[in-house]
Amino acid sequence: MALYGMSDEDLEQMYQEVILDAARDPHGKVTLEEQDTEAETGVTLSHTHEYCIPARSHQFNPTCGDEVTVHVEVSDGSDGGPQRIERLVWDGQGCSISQASLSVMVDLVEHKTVDEAMSMASDFHRLMDSRGKGVPDANLDDTLGDAVVFQGVSRYPMRIKCALLGWEGMKASVAQALSHMDSRPTMAMQTKER
Amino acid sequence: MTDMEDFSAIRQQFPILDQRIHGHPLVYLDSAATAQKPEAVIDAESDFYRTINAGVHRGAHELAARSTVAFEEARAKVARLVHASEAEGEEEIVFTAGATASLNLLATSFGNASMGRGGAAARRFALQPGDEIVVSKAEHHSVLLPFQELAARTGATLRWFDLDDEGRIRSDTADTVITEHCKIVAITHVGNTTGAITDLAPIVSRAHEVGAIVVLDACQSVPHMRIDFHALDVDFAAWSSHKMYGPTGVGFLYGKRALLEALPPASFGGSMVELAFMDKPAQYMEPPARFEAGTQPVAQIVAAGVAADWMMGIGMDRVERHEATITEELLKLGEVEGVRILGPRSAERRIATVAFEVEGVHPHDVGQFIDAQGIAIRVGHHCAQPVHRHFGVFASNRASSAVYNTPEEARRLVEAVGGVRDFFRVK
Ligand SMILES: Cc1ncc(COP(=O)(O)O)c(C=O)c1O
Repeated sequence: MALYGMSDEDLEQMYQEVILDAARDPHGKVTLEEQDTEAETGVTLSHTHEYCIPARSHQFNPTCGDEVTVHVEVSDGSDGGPQRIERLVWDGQGCSISQASLSVMVDLVEHKTVDEAMSMASDFHRLMDSRGKGVPDANLDDTLGDAVVFQGVSRYPMRIKCALLGWEGMKASVAQALSHMDSRPTMAMQTKER
Repeated sequence: MTDMEDFSAIRQQFPILDQRIHGHPLVYLDSAATAQKPEAVIDAESDFYRTINAGVHRGAHELAARSTVAFEEARAKVARLVHASEAEGEEEIVFTAGATASLNLLATSFGNASMGRGGAAARRFALQPGDEIVVSKAEHHSVLLPFQELAARTGATLRWFDLDDEGRIRSDTADTVITEHCKIVAITHVGNTTGAITDLAPIVSRAHEVGAIVVLDACQSVPHMRIDFHALDVDFAAWSSHKMYGPTGVGFLYGKRALLEALPPASFGGSMVELAFMDKPAQYMEPPARFEAGTQPVAQIVAAGVAADWMMGIGMDRVERHEATITEELLKLGEVEGVRILGPRSAERRIATVAFEVEGVHPHDVGQFIDAQGIAIRVGHHCAQPVHRHFGVFASNRASSAVYNTPEEARRLVEAVGGVRDFFRVK
């Protein structure tokens, strides 16, 4: 009979040190205040950079109650550079896989361009779809860094959703921020004038 | 032979249990979700296909006759298990697709009665605005939702029993919760999360005092204790075959014969109608056929009957005594640091289903950690969100046992749970 100390390879495969550490002390976790109504329009929010569009996405996993609100602030490209995720924070609670995945995602994605972030999200998705086998043809170690430790999770169909929760929130909030930019021509012009 | 030896022989009848998971002998403690099947049941299902498979209650050939006999014998066996009437023309057991289907059948029939279907005889089931339906906070969603929907369709008001600190239904409040306006009380016999056995007598007597119908969710009681629906005096009861060692896809609805006769059908089609016309209303069959429209899963029903027989062969009193030894061990979870039991902490009036929370560790993580040691428990909300809300959590861990479990297996679980907080670095 196994004592917990001699836990199985499977378990260690799944709960790697990176995951256990990140779950205990996750990066990017904050207490988000209730969003003001204007946030719906994406125009006013207490965002850090003037030229950023903030947006939020709430994600919920009804089978276990994992819940997260991802808050992004995306630069609108008015400085001539690419649209970039200038700030990425989240508030929520859940299992160690979801918490650790959010933490690792913050490390990876914050300050990256929207295109880079979306490409990482799609790589991570592929990893999670790999049924524990990983994605040998892609150099995920290079692109996903620490996030490759979640490969062990992909063996467990019920846990994949936990690992993806934060990424889904990131994608949805970024998409929302971009749509606010599109629907706001006058604002963009004002920004330019400035 | 001692009882212990007997039960080890019983356990050997479950082929699935004889395997290793992640290198450890499998400990299956998720029988409240679904029970494992003994050889007798597995064989009954495949033997049916090998030797008798044919439609029931139709056709004149020999196989059809044999299959009809097997089908009706299954009904009689299930009736015996719960002390319902099995006499021809007096049957009180209806086959359904599962407990959820049984409960939806009732809610739909009551709704049909509310629209005038079933005539004067069915008026006792009819609801209208001002009427009340009573459930409890301990209900499985399969009880809560069909009756919540029924209330919405008919304009009736949904009310519910609260729970005490240990998650027991507050039967002592029956006189105030069940008012003169109450028409239906739908309540669980044993909580699927708490494992608490409901004190039914005050609820049933109060319900009948005001003329209300009592619907019992017997999913978690039939597999674990001796049941006599006549003695309990409930009007209807629903449960599933797959939680009592039988196949999936089969459930049961018990109804007092007189009530089944008055109940309008919920599902329509072949095998439930005596006369069908183009220009006149159809004439439906007597129960139980009235509620068994369409081709039935005969092989599974026959095997479910074998499961009922198998349980009676052991004796439900003995099953209860055996499982009580497991309850004792499972309750020691409460002595593990940081563990809170969501349900009664003493072995009285409860079954060997114990839900618990490990402070600081999400149930998904607990379940995974436990699984790595070959132990299967359920994590999540177990289709009973309100009872979790009652305890201030969204999800929990649940260990639930059956005849094949041993006290030693429960001890293995308790020991494994003892390692959870260290592994996840909760101080
Ligand atoms: C108490 C209770 N009621 C109802 C059900 C529904 O049973 P089924 O899913 O077999 O229809 C279950 C099982 O999930 C249960 O435990």
